[in-house]
Amino acid sequence: MFEHVNNIKNSTVAAMAKIDSSQFLSTIIGQNVNVKLHSGMLYRGRLESIDGFMNVALSSAKEHYESGDNGLLRTYPTDVFLRGTQVMYISEVK
Amino acid sequence: MSETAEPRQDPPPQQRKKFEGPKREAILDLAKYKDTRVRVKLMGGRLVAGVLKGYDQLMNLVLDETVEYMRDPEDNSFILKDKTRELGLIVIRGTVLLSLSPLEGSETISIQDTD
Amino acid sequence: MDSHRLFSVSREYRKTCPTFVHLMSALEILPLEIIDKTIGQPVWIVLQSNREFTGTLIGFDDFVNVIVEDAKEITVGTDLQDVPIMQHKGRMLLSGNSIAMLVPGSKKA
Repeated sequence: MFEHVNNIKNSTVAAMAKIDSSQFLSTIIGQNVNVKLHSGMLYRGRLESIDGFMNVALSSAKEHYESGDNGLLRTYPTDVFLRGTQVMYISEVK
Repeated sequence: MSETAEPRQDPPPQQRKKFEGPKREAILDLAKYKDTRVRVKLMGGRLVAGVLKGYDQLMNLVLDETVEYMRDPEDNSFILKDKTRELGLIVIRGTVLLSLSPLEGSETISIQDTD
Repeated sequence: MDSHRLFSVSREYRKTCPTFVHLMSALEILPLEIIDKTIGQPVWIVLQSNREFTGTLIGFDDFVNVIVEDAKEITVGTDLQDVPIMQHKGRMLLSGNSIAMLVPGSKKA
């Protein structure tokens, strides 16, 4: 009987996981994020929009190599568009 | 976010039949390697060996007691046979799988000696 | 009540015994199921390159894009030692594109 309860729990965990990734995208819109490309370039800025291909648009972005602790390479006064195929990750800045 | 990255576009059923024949079957039956030690090469040059515990149609693999053979950091094509690391139970993505082959012999024979 | 107790014991056992899958050899082991069972627990993700991430697995999708919390990003340097790159705070969406291997549990040594 309790096993049954646990099974239900497990399946909701799986269902939540499915929602999670798209939910994650909607919750981080408007927040400051780090986006790293496969080349190692790191962009820190406000997430303006993102699509299912992981194409990303950032505003007031700063460009670093590998880490924000490494020297500032460039600031972008305009929006920056990053192509989804080149994106390694998007992470919250807290 | 199931529509992320490359959207899987299933061709219309008729077309699919033309491409793949009546039924899509794996050309390699991984069942015969189950619970035996296999060596797996991955895109990007990684080489691992482990006991095949599971797999799916997309060739995602579950390996146990996995060891990875490290490569020369200066020359990624050169595998340092005495440098390994234990990974234990792992999942390998089918998308990066290059080759899979059984490791002949008992588990006491190490890969360093077979070459 | 008994069945509940048995269930929780076996779950506990799985956490402590890395070769738990031996006991399951009669059952079908699906890779994505292994990943699903890692949700909420530490995970070690190895990319095709020399880059690795450790953190808590929050979720994943059909492409195995992965959400990891408080991820530590490292590369493996020329002496095969870890080179820390960044300690992330909060959640990270890691593209499944470059993921080679997923290892349930935290990185050993």
